[in-house]
Amino acid sequence: MGAIIALSIGNGPVIPTPLEPKNHFLCSGDTCSGQLWYRADPDLHAMWWNARRLNKACQLEAFKNCIAGGWRNPPSTGSYLALTFSPDAPAKFPDVDITEFAAWLVTAEGVTPVAVEVQSSKVGMAQLSATWPTKTMSEISVLVIGLGSIGGAAAHALAEYGVGTLRLLDPDRLLAHNLVRHVGPPEGVGRLKVDVIKQQLAALRADTVVETHPWDVIESAHLVRGLLLSVDLVLCAADGVAARRVVSHLARRAKKDAVLACVLADGSFGEVIRLRPWHDHGCLVCRRATLADKGGIDPEPGLDAGYGTGTTHRPMTAVGGDLHLLGRLAAKTAVATVLERRGHTDQKLPGEHLLLALRPEIGWAPPFDLTRNGETRWLPHTPPRPGCPTCEPA
Amino acid sequence: MDLTNAFDELQRNVNADIDQVTLARDRRDIFKKAFKGEDDVLEVFGSGSLARSTQLRPVHDVDLIVVFDGDKHPGWGAPGTSAEDALGHAQDRVKALLGMADGRVDQLVRLAKPRDRAVKCFIDPPEQDDAFTVDVMPVLRQPDETLLLPSKRNKQWNTADPEYLIKEVAAQQRKWAFFRPLVRVLKHWRLGVPTKVKSLVIEVLALQCLPTEGNRQNALKSFFTSSAVEVGYGVEDPAKRCGPIQPDLDISILRTALEEARNLAELACAAAADGKTDEAGMYWRDIFGDDFPESSSENHVGAAASAAVVTPRVVKDAPQG
Ligand SMILES: [Zn+2]
Repeated sequence: MGAIIALSIGNGPVIPTPLEPKNHFLCSGDTCSGQLWYRADPDLHAMWWNARRLNKACQLEAFKNCIAGGWRNPPSTGSYLALTFSPDAPAKFPDVDITEFAAWLVTAEGVTPVAVEVQSSKVGMAQLSATWPTKTMSEISVLVIGLGSIGGAAAHALAEYGVGTLRLLDPDRLLAHNLVRHVGPPEGVGRLKVDVIKQQLAALRADTVVETHPWDVIESAHLVRGLLLSVDLVLCAADGVAARRVVSHLARRAKKDAVLACVLADGSFGEVIRLRPWHDHGCLVCRRATLADKGGIDPEPGLDAGYGTGTTHRPMTAVGGDLHLLGRLAAKTAVATVLERRGHTDQKLPGEHLLLALRPEIGWAPPFDLTRNGETRWLPHTPPRPGCPTCEPA
Repeated sequence: MDLTNAFDELQRNVNADIDQVTLARDRRDIFKKAFKGEDDVLEVFGSGSLARSTQLRPVHDVDLIVVFDGDKHPGWGAPGTSAEDALGHAQDRVKALLGMADGRVDQLVRLAKPRDRAVKCFIDPPEQDDAFTVDVMPVLRQPDETLLLPSKRNKQWNTADPEYLIKEVAAQQRKWAFFRPLVRVLKHWRLGVPTKVKSLVIEVLALQCLPTEGNRQNALKSFFTSSAVEVGYGVEDPAKRCGPIQPDLDISILRTALEEARNLAELACAAAADGKTDEAGMYWRDIFGDDFPESSSENHVGAAASAAVVTPRVVKDAPQG
């Protein structure tokens, strides 16, 4: 395995061609000079293709005859690597995949074709533009609140869908005990979670611009209000009821869609709720109250104790794979929401509230009466309740 | 009949009658000419659907904006009775310039009645159904180029930017030649929605949700998909001046109608992609009614009644990892 890191033409100056990214593993490999590149006849690249298919070497003389100039014989007991360049080759053989570049190991006994990988100048999401609305997605901005195990996976997925701008909000640092479930790597321990994700996405998904806000959504609600103005949607994967209620309230007031994801019952179920700020769709509190009235959910004890006084961080009862799956489902829900609004008919969702059985057991009250792992259930929205301070106009 | 021809025919059925449009333009131009000669008038221009070329048949009203010189009417623009004063002034000028009895420029107007924001000028007898009228709105131009519109009822003047919509529609039309025609089709479609939907609501939704590329079928499918969602957020003045366009709009009924149209358009596009033109036409007829031509081979069964018009496609076992 090797890479070209410098080249020259004839006796001209040596021009460095540094490898990207800078921490590429070959950057710490040995440097060896004396390899050559040639301009070549297109037929040579057809020979390369054929020789690779048949897994055999070509004769030195045949190879030499296809070289445009500057030929150098291999040493009698050694070899050199040759890269051949034939810009007309792809057009001359349109039916087979003949490339502009080919690579060879040249010895006195014969010339063996070597696999070569050329890095395309077309990188990133643009490569998918024929089948995915990459331009629309690049104009989308999503605020992710809570960059724990679900939120971190959601941020990765949003970038993979091509979201142009991610605003990440979480005050916490990545701790050693998080690693078992978090997308962050061990070297990120001690850093802010938002910075860990930002660094990962900078390396993996360069199309996505990431901004970080190491704030607590409850304490910094006034700042979040400002942030919401500049985003299309908010995805909330924060722990605890209070933070989710704040997000529900702020998003509705800002007339923004919100997608909330969590696991419930110690990881038995995953849940994704979509809140749209529509006059006939209730906020999170109204949805939960309606569900509680039907006996579907038990409000958290101490819920009304006020912000910051309830329990916030959940114990680690769910496994990383399930949490990441939820984060990705939440991201998919968010993307579907923004694309349907922009006229993509294939992005309609079956409902406004998704339940996913992760580790179901018999005996849960409806609508959580899912009995098979992987089973999903989509529920509709419920209307605002009279007197709701979030749903009724300010 | 192929779908292109069918859509062309739908368009012809929907478009305002060309003679009526010409007559409306002629009448508007007489008003323009009359007011342009006034020494306290700075500009005269049309607004409304005729000015945006999105009018629907039949054309029986024309909107005209007359920008008066604020220096010559120093009280105008202030809260109180000045809104009514401005409408009264416009009424007097219409009578003097165009009154049927002794109009100086032409003798066209039978009756000029100030309404809340404009003077309604009857050219046909007012008791006639769909009497042709010209609405003359006296306005002032503000330093930021927006207009001040009088409201007699509220005793105040409001900032508005009616030229914004005219410019936006024109810009979309430059991108796609089907834009204005399809806006007319959609305004026609709204008449079948079981609640009152102002035509301006559809026009603003079209600006937000109607694509400006591709074929008409996919553009309509995309419009219905997008606007079924968009109405949930409220349909507001695109110039961000006047708030909700129709505060009493029943959003749930409009949304349901848009969703039904979206589902039918989805079936129509799938049938068309399947090469089943007649079936596709049946779905479009379900959306647009009798103005969408019937295909010759159609056996008069409503498309919605026959469930499986789209042949299920079989997934090829060509896995992508
Ligand atoms: Zn509520």
